[in-house]
Parts: sequence; C-alpha cells; structure tokens
Amino acid sequence: MKKTDKIIIALLVLGGILALFYPDTHPFRRVISQKELAYDAALPSRYVSVDKVAKMLMESDPSLILVDVRDADQYAKYTLPGAMNIPVDSILSEKYVDMLDQDVYTVVLFSNGSGLADQAWLMLRSYDYQGLKVLKGGLNAWYRNILHPQEPDATEVTSEAYKRYFFRKGAMYYFTGIRPAGTSASPKPAVAPKPVVKRKKKEVTGGCG
Amino acid sequence: MGPLYPQELLNPEYNLLIGFLIGIGFGFILEAMGFTNTRKLAGVFYGYDATVIKTFFTAALTALIGLFLMHHWGWIDIYKTFYPSTFWIPTLVGGAIMGLGFVIGGFCPGTSLSAASTGKWDAWAFLAGVMIGIYGFIFTYKSWWAGLRASGKLGKVNFPQWLGIKEGIFIFLFVVVAVITFVLYQKWQNHWKTKMSKEDMDELGL
Repeated sequence: MKKTDKIIIALLVLGGILALFYPDTHPFRRVISQKELAYDAALPSRYVSVDKVAKMLMESDPSLILVDVRDADQYAKYTLPGAMNIPVDSILSEKYVDMLDQDVYTVVLFSNGSGLADQAWLMLRSYDYQGLKVLKGGLNAWYRNILHPQEPDATEVTSEAYKRYFFRKGAMYYFTGIRPAGTSASPKPAVAPKPVVKRKKKEVTGGCG
Repeated sequence: MGPLYPQELLNPEYNLLIGFLIGIGFGFILEAMGFTNTRKLAGVFYGYDATVIKTFFTAALTALIGLFLMHHWGWIDIYKTFYPSTFWIPTLVGGAIMGLGFVIGGFCPGTSLSAASTGKWDAWAFLAGVMIGIYGFIFTYKSWWAGLRASGKLGKVNFPQWLGIKEGIFIFLFVVVAVITFVLYQKWQNHWKTKMSKEDMDELGL
C-alpha cells in the first residue's frame, strides 16, 4: 500500500470516528422555525393568480398539481379540471406525504375562498414542504374572473387590463365552451381567440388526462 | 453559511461559472487519473485495477463525512440541499444497465465525455449511444416507463433511517466497510499484477 493511500484511509477513519459523536441530522424531515414560517407566510409569492393557473391548465403544464382542500361533497359538485381532492383535515396524512413533499412540481392548493387553502398551506409549509402555492381568491375568483370575465371599466382602460380581459374571455371559452358575448355573431372578431383555443384543447385531451 | 445558491447568496450567472470551473477540474482529474482509458475502467470488473472503486468510495465517504460534520459545525445547512425521493426498483434496473454499459463500453457518462475530448473514437461512439438512450427515453417516457418509474417507492429515506440506527454509527460502519474493501481489493490486484507479464500490462496501459 502506498503512503498516500494510508494517509487517506487514516483521514477517513478519523472522520468516521468523529461522526460517532454527533447527533442525527434527518436531512429531509424537518419542522421549520416559527420565524421562518412567519416570513414565508408574509411573502406575496406564495399566492398564484387564477389567470396564471388558467394559463398553465391551457398549456397542459406538466409541473402543475391542483389540490382541492375542501371536503369530498364540495369536490364532487365542482372543482378545477384535473384537480385532486385532499380535504384539509387529512392533508398531513401519511398517504399524501410522497406526493406533496417534493420539489419538482408546483402544488396549487385551493378552496372556495383562500382561507381553507391558507390553512393547508401553513400546515404543509411548517413541515418544510416545497413548491406550495395558494390560489388567490380561490374558486370564487375563478368564477368571477375566468368563468365570468368583466370588461375593464372606464377607470382602468389600459392595454394591460384589456390584454387580461381578452385572455380571460379566451379562457372562459376554453373552460366552459361558451362563446364570450360579442364574439359570437360575426366570424371576424372571433378570429383571434378561436384558433388558439382549438389547438390547445387538443393538447389537453392528449396530455393531462 | 452554505449552500450558497439556494440562499440566493450567489446569482445564477456565477453559479453557472462555478459549475463550469468545477466541470473543468473534474474532467482534468479524470484524464489525469487515466479514467479515459477504457481498460482501466473495465479493470475494476476483472480485478486488475482498483482505481475506480477506490475513487468512488473515497468520493462518497468524503462527501458523506464532510456534509455531516460541516452541517454540525454550522458551515452548511443540509436542509437546503437537494434530497430526492428513493425508488429502489428503477434505481436497481438503472444501476444494472449502467454497470453493463461500464463493463461493455468501458466508460461511465463522465469519463466518456473526457475521453471524447481527447479524441478517442470509441468515446464518441459511446456518446452517440448515450444520446440515443436519452432521446429514446424522452420519447417513451410517458408510454413505456410510467409503471417502472413509479415502482418501489420508498419516499425520502436514507440508510440510517431505514436501518433504524444513528447516522454517526452508519457513517462509521460505512468507513469500516470501505477500508476492508480497499485492503482486500489491493490484495486481489497485487495477486493479478504478479501473474501478469510486462507485455500484458503494457497492452492494458497500466
């Protein structure tokens, strides 16, 4: 055996013996500190808008996981396309650990408003789960903005507001199949949203399922 | 203090630059150790060369002991490092394929890149195979491999937790096993070397 081999072996053995005197780290199961939780809870970035979620759904974004945290009855009545149901009471159950405790997907929690989803977010985040978001305004906002988009009023006539409005009209057509009012009669105004919407619909049937 | 990037102490450009520099160092050392020689790599399976096994064991142990101690000394926050979930069946299958590739092709993915950069044609052929494999997997990701990918799910576990022993004890036992392997392998290798003629050694590039 060479001298360098001996030195390396001696160092490794020394490190191994030293390791015996230290406690466990548990590198993956940790409860974050209250300070950290409070800091994260105050970040606006923990919310995701209904527009963003609508866009991800229309693009069949594979990184999106939608979790409906309401109870099973409400889930059965109405939910978002492709959403799974984990009621807030059982969100910390062992069954869902593998699915929720990950760092690849964006997990969007939603309820009717934001309240229930916020509770679920805090519970999961306290165990240091990654990639969690709350749907801002919940299904109410989804209903208001995506399913029944309102034309911007006179006080906010910006191109930004109109862009959003037209996106929402397209999204409404995509999710409900109802042609937005004012675009139905003549083919001319419908030209813009129509081809985009149709193509994306095909993607959904093939992908997300 | 560490890791630097997840705590945003390092911007993405510098992160890439550091990755680039480490990559150069890695390739340089691989070449310097003779890892771009296919016979040296395949030697680990025949018993005439222990370099590969020594290197991998030493690297794993250095990282294991280093991360563990540095976490306790407050130099690195282990909770901010990436920790993947374990799927033991696909890992076993992948490991078997990798091992076969290792002994048939004489390269592992990293050394094939190093060897390709030194202009070895067999390394370029190996890389072409790697690319075919990668793209083949991408295009069959959803259709063929969905079942295999999700099989044998253990979640986020490590050996000490799985065995129910303290992490420190596991590290110590791992060191003991590694040292015993070093010594035994060295003996096997010496046994080979005394049997091999000078010409054989030259042909193998040892």
